Amino acid sequence: MLSRFEPNRMTENAEQQTYESATARLEEIITRLDSGEAELRETLALCVEAKQLIEFCKLELEAVSGALTELRLDELVSELEGRAETG
Amino acid sequence: MKPDPELPGPFPVGRYAAELREFMRARARVLVLGEVTGFKRSRVSCYFELRDRDGAIPCSIWNSDLDRLGIDELLLRDGAEVVAGGGPDYYPGSATAAPSFSFRATHLRLAGEGDLLAQLARLRATLESEGLFKPQRRLARPLIPKTIGVVTARGSAACADLLAGLERRGWRGTIIWADAPVQDRRAAPAIAEALRGLAALPRVEVAVVCRGGGSLFDLWAFCDEGLCRTVALLRLPVISAVGHESDHTLLDDVAALACSTPTHAAGEVVGVSIPDAGRELATAAALASNSGRSSVGRRGRRLIELAGVPARSVRAERSRMHQTLREVRASGLRGVRERRSLTGRHGLVMTRRITAERQRGVPARGELLAGLELALRAHEPERTLQRGYALVEDPRGEPIASAAAARRNANLTIRFADDAVKVRTEPDD
Repeated sequence: MLSRFEPNRMTENAEQQTYESATARLEEIITRLDSGEAELRETLALCVEAKQLIEFCKLELEAVSGALTELRLDELVSELEGRAETG
Repeated sequence: MKPDPELPGPFPVGRYAAELREFMRARARVLVLGEVTGFKRSRVSCYFELRDRDGAIPCSIWNSDLDRLGIDELLLRDGAEVVAGGGPDYYPGSATAAPSFSFRATHLRLAGEGDLLAQLARLRATLESEGLFKPQRRLARPLIPKTIGVVTARGSAACADLLAGLERRGWRGTIIWADAPVQDRRAAPAIAEALRGLAALPRVEVAVVCRGGGSLFDLWAFCDEGLCRTVALLRLPVISAVGHESDHTLLDDVAALACSTPTHAAGEVVGVSIPDAGRELATAAALASNSGRSSVGRRGRRLIELAGVPARSVRAERSRMHQTLREVRASGLRGVRERRSLTGRHGLVMTRRITAERQRGVPARGELLAGLELALRAHEPERTLQRGYALVEDPRGEPIASAAAARRNANLTIRFADDAVKVRTEPDD
């Protein structure tokens, strides 16, 4: 799995990235770095990727750590329909 | 006028209606299960419809039969599940009354849980055979959704339980409430509609259908075939949180996940405690940073070690070369001494050989020298003078070889073999 490690594999699929995929990848990176098998260039690339993943996860957590927002479906639907009519 | 088709008759319609009634009454008597709609009592009979999602039949029961059964009419409200026993009947009408068809019930009772369970088992088998239990379970659910859709009755206890559960997770994202009745014949279509509405909003990542516990009758809307087919085919993951731990509805089977309670659902919708996730992320960040630093540091140390290798190698090589040089010098000195000794010996041998050779060569060379002396002597000037020639010299004794040279000297000497005579030259006329 890690023998042919691909740096930035996850960031290439940024659109599909989720919190759990990011943390899973982060764990992989830490394991890889700890193994000492990564070459220097790969190590540096992995450090950069880890930083990006941490930033992504941080933003994901921040998005659900503020204040609870409550909306109602019927109001959203009316709003959308109103927009469609005026538009 | 077109001719009649080749059919029996024509018969008087009253006779045909009477025979139709007999035909209907000859049909097998059965029990049917359905939901009561529009129950009303007239002078001699009670009328109502029995229906489910696939169809309905008009039913009637004599007032006398209903009274005999002792059923409280208030229980036969819309939506009540009943089992009716009877068979088809046809009223041919009269001069003043319209004809009508009905299922003439002679037996009626409120449906028991067993009836519903049997119906549920049939539905479950049908949906499962169509593979409708799998699609929702294949959908990916986010560990930490930012927007959650919730279908429930507004202000219900289930709502409060779900919110409390989310709060315990430390989750404070966006909830979109989709209100729907959760118990009557309007519930299933309304819940399906609400779920379709939530699924139409791209921001909604997961939906929860939420209701507190109740009897199977109370939860019957969540066993509705139409609702379950809708949920099974939605692209939005739906979590069923209906009833208590012992309740198991058909929605549980088709949903992405079945939770025993709304509280349980909250824990599943948000897969981690947000504060815990924050702490774990900080730990992971520190680990990644340390691992990276340590990995680079380890390489740096190795690099330093590797950098020391050439110096050590050069030192070792220099030392080796010094040793070799010493050995070469020592070997060279030994060689020179040996060669000197050898050369000395060769010199001695050569000297001896030369001496011997010289001793052997003296007489022969003496004869040769005598010959050479004779040849040389033949060319001496004195020998020429002795043969009668004379030699003219200037006062310094240099020979005069031409008349011009003689004219330039006033005093000359003519040397003969026996003596020399001084002469003076006279200038030419």
